[in-house]
Amino acid sequence: MSAPAPADAVISVSGLTKRFGEVLAVDALDFSVDRGQVCGLLGPNGAGKTTTLRVLVGLVFADAGRASLFGRPVHPSDPALARVGTMIEESAFVPYLSGVANLRLWWEAGGARWHDADTDTALAVAGLGPAVNRKVKTYSQGMKQRLGLARALLSKPDVLVLDEPTSGLDPGEMREVRQLLRRVSEQGATVLLSSHLLAEIEQVCSHAVVMDKGRLVAAGPVAALMGGEGSVYLEVSNVRRATSVLRKLAGVRRVIPEAPGLAVELEGIKRSAVVAALVKAGVGVETVTARHRLEDAFLGLVGDA
Amino acid sequence: MIPVFRTELAKQVRRPRTFVALGIAALIPVIATIALKANPPTPQGGGDQGLFSLAPLSGLLVPAAALRFMSRFLLVLIVALFAGDAVAAEASWGSLRYLLVRPISRPRLLGAKLAVSGLFALAATVLITLAGLVAGLLAFGWHGVTIPFTSLSQTAPQLLWNDLLATAYVAWSMAAVVTFGFFVSTLSDVPQGGVGAAIGLYIVSQILDALTSLGTIRHGLPTRHLDDWIVLFTGRGPNADMFKGVLVQVPYIVVFGGLAFWRFQRKDINS
Repeated sequence: MSAPAPADAVISVSGLTKRFGEVLAVDALDFSVDRGQVCGLLGPNGAGKTTTLRVLVGLVFADAGRASLFGRPVHPSDPALARVGTMIEESAFVPYLSGVANLRLWWEAGGARWHDADTDTALAVAGLGPAVNRKVKTYSQGMKQRLGLARALLSKPDVLVLDEPTSGLDPGEMREVRQLLRRVSEQGATVLLSSHLLAEIEQVCSHAVVMDKGRLVAAGPVAALMGGEGSVYLEVSNVRRATSVLRKLAGVRRVIPEAPGLAVELEGIKRSAVVAALVKAGVGVETVTARHRLEDAFLGLVGDA
Repeated sequence: MIPVFRTELAKQVRRPRTFVALGIAALIPVIATIALKANPPTPQGGGDQGLFSLAPLSGLLVPAAALRFMSRFLLVLIVALFAGDAVAAEASWGSLRYLLVRPISRPRLLGAKLAVSGLFALAATVLITLAGLVAGLLAFGWHGVTIPFTSLSQTAPQLLWNDLLATAYVAWSMAAVVTFGFFVSTLSDVPQGGVGAAIGLYIVSQILDALTSLGTIRHGLPTRHLDDWIVLFTGRGPNADMFKGVLVQVPYIVVFGGLAFWRFQRKDINS
């Protein structure tokens, strides 16, 4: 299963296995992320995403396999991490210090001078205004999250490893963060981010890695993972009859029963034509909901795993 | 080591809890001096009450009296507070992982945190002495004493020198508490765990020391020689027991300090 990482892989994970007591958190995981890619790490809760990211930045020791950055295996507090901006789980700070004091002390702890930090970009991302001088314990979750992103950007990193970066942000802030990630990627940085928000992955990421129960389910370009042209969720009067009709219908790639209705993957057929076919066959259609394509792909992949 | 030590020091200095702990260390000797001035006790010989009752004879005896009663529990509590949550507090806030990915090597971070904990333990002890000295000199003046019952005389400079020696001895005697609390702090994400463990070590040591049937085993207890510095004021100066008191801390520092570094180097950081 373990394939050699491509020569230009900035991040690679090979045969990675991590167990916490009886729980197998990550099971022989392989994937790589090339320079300039924005890769989404997808998976349901408990899939092993955060553990994978923690191994990748040297916080957690792998039981087997290895994680590499810039072509070299990562060790705890590896000097290569100076080129990596990190946000693992929620942003965390010393609560009784101000936002800017937190950033400054964290930066200077690494032996660097404050005026060498990319404070303009970082503080613009944080967008906290005068609140940056307030104690962090007075911040909302969203403010902490933005300050965490600012910290990750202080070193103008070559790689960003972000765990749920838009968690706790409002829709406007989410959009700003997505734009920022695109901008950072366009400047040549490589981004690996985990997210529960499939739409976010679809909008931001060029590639995705899908995990379930610690194992790799699928990896590749987001467009390839999504396949097809879209899907629709239907609630109908007779699920069995509808399934039978749809499976014979040209342009329907797959029919997945999802109580109380059906998810239908489409390939070259319009939603209206699907509804018309069901009505013609005497099946009542109660609701028709267009679905995100990646969401379908994800559910299909994880469901199949 | 220097940058991370400096930033750890800055964090501790700005922490409100530090001001409270050091404030208490400074305040209690002042309160005790006011009480002694208002209601002077009858001078007694050496021993537990002796030093306290002798304090009104010279302002230079007040720091010793303050060290004596503060080192019984309050200083232990303050020291345990600094050492016991040094790593665990950072883990509980979640900021520990960000220091490690800065990246700062684990031994370097631990060394800086241990040094800062030790420094504040020393600062608390010095503050007790300083507060006692200032309050004592204001209340009872600067002069030598002749200790009743022993006829032992000490000049003012001798008393000041002995205050300094006593401060260093008491601070050093906290080393086992500091390193044990620090070690437990590396095991837990709950700051109270390390603080409680450090205080627990002190209490257990005191209890075991009271069991005479333990015989010579008691000589290895970290609090066995905690009060032996009193001979600086009631006897003829430093003696063999004080030397043993200095040495007895060493194995605790080596074992618990070593365990802290060994454990932290291998620990998964999941906080």
